[in-house]
Amino acid sequence: MFTRVVFAEAVKSLKVYFFSTRTLFWALALPLGNGLYLYFLYLPFATKSVDLQFGATTYTIDLVGFTIIGQLLYSFFTMMLLAGASFDAERWQGTLEVLLLSPASRVAILLGGALANAVNYVWMLVALVLSWVAFIHVGIFVTDPLALCGSLLLSYSAMMALGMCLETVDVYSRRGSIFTAWLQEPVMFLSGQIFPLQSLPVFLLPLSYLLPLTFGLMAVRLTLLGGASIYDVRMPLATLASMTLIFFILASLLVNYAERRAKTKATLTQF
Amino acid sequence: MASHSIRVIASTAKVNLIMTWRFFSWTGFALRFFTPLMTLGAAWILYNVVYARQTLPPGFGAVIGSSGYLSFITVGNAFYVFVFAAAFVVGRVMFWERATGTIEATFMTPMSRLAYMSGIMLAAATNSLIDFAAVFILGLAFGFQIALLNAPLFLSSLLLTAFGLFGIGLITNAITLTFRDRTTTANSLMILFMVFCGLVCPVELMPPWAQLISKALPLTYGVRLMRASLLGIVTVDPMHDIAALLVLDAIYVVIGAITLAQIEKNLRKKALFSIF
Repeated sequence: MFTRVVFAEAVKSLKVYFFSTRTLFWALALPLGNGLYLYFLYLPFATKSVDLQFGATTYTIDLVGFTIIGQLLYSFFTMMLLAGASFDAERWQGTLEVLLLSPASRVAILLGGALANAVNYVWMLVALVLSWVAFIHVGIFVTDPLALCGSLLLSYSAMMALGMCLETVDVYSRRGSIFTAWLQEPVMFLSGQIFPLQSLPVFLLPLSYLLPLTFGLMAVRLTLLGGASIYDVRMPLATLASMTLIFFILASLLVNYAERRAKTKATLTQF
Repeated sequence: MASHSIRVIASTAKVNLIMTWRFFSWTGFALRFFTPLMTLGAAWILYNVVYARQTLPPGFGAVIGSSGYLSFITVGNAFYVFVFAAAFVVGRVMFWERATGTIEATFMTPMSRLAYMSGIMLAAATNSLIDFAAVFILGLAFGFQIALLNAPLFLSSLLLTAFGLFGIGLITNAITLTFRDRTTTANSLMILFMVFCGLVCPVELMPPWAQLISKALPLTYGVRLMRASLLGIVTVDPMHDIAALLVLDAIYVVIGAITLAQIEKNLRKKALFSIF
């Protein structure tokens, strides 16, 4: 039953959003635009590389690669935020109450939406990476493909689990979309997407460590652009695996709480 | 006719100002500062921490003026609030009219559509001036300094840019009405302006293809004039930029007015005003 709901929800979301203007914007125009914006931010500094400190080692990473990888993972994060907007869309359409009247597992609904958004994004991501490697000649340096695959998979799973938690906000509040919009710039700033994390003021670091994007960026940049091995990135990978588990459990608790509260207060569809 | 249009402008602006301030949203207000704040913070970290003020190329000073890199970034980001107003306030008027069920009534009135949109732009620009000043105040914390104030140039850059953005707002409305879009058009416009108008980097340093795109955007000239008026940049030719801005303003407003009129005609014919 759980798998069928996940599948049905994923298929429904894919049918609605696959190659829609919304997906094209969030998965193609936004990463390209933001990537260029951040690249232009670096242009006045007449530099072609960024020093990324990790433990006792300093990796010198190609600037274009640094910006692009940051943007690609960040865009996946925003796609996960968008998964929450599907509840908002159900509310606009007047179908949220019907959806929540069904006996389907809420976690399965959340997972289905998040998976559909992930699929919507991944094929564009692959195309983008290939085109950048071919045309912009991003300096890729991979020594351990397993470490790279692990970094990508765990980054995506942790962000997907966090996305499921954030989806519940849209059930809980009519201001869910505002809340997710609020998250975008602070996450960009705190995750080390724009500049290396070692440059962030120390008092902000605890906030950075709450974000799976921070560890995802560390692991993917180091394994894709810095030639790090799985042993080098074991700490971010272990953190991402733990975050996946914690956020998944949290999402299942939160969605039940949000639904119960919304039903008690009769605020599911009220605007 | 002219007096009627002026009354429409005044009453629309009044209604919109009342709506904004009576139902003031702190979350919406704060959200408008997130991008400028993030950019200012990131520029500050890049300049002071990552590159420790050492790697700015020679000749960069002439392009950014005597007040320095962070003042240059602050002015660019202050302009961002006008883009926000044009894309999200003026650009989404028809979306909200449709969402609240008033679009048919609005289009039944005999008022000039341009006067109506001008009233909305007037209210949005008035509200944006507050945001604009707030970004400068925020910029002070990041090292913003005024080198030399050229008041006439400052005011001309503000007015002319607002006029160009109004034209772009009209076009956005036409697209929103046609494609029943919520935020994608407005967001795409924001990205276009942020990237290509030289908000974070002098246009002269961008690749040639990006410079070509920037030449078609009014904000590029507006930001450059504003910077020249505040930061004492001597490499800018104000007359050239004012002329370019005037031409672009005229083009965008004419295109915007024509497309809006055409789309209205089409929607009336097909009875698609309030159908989602």
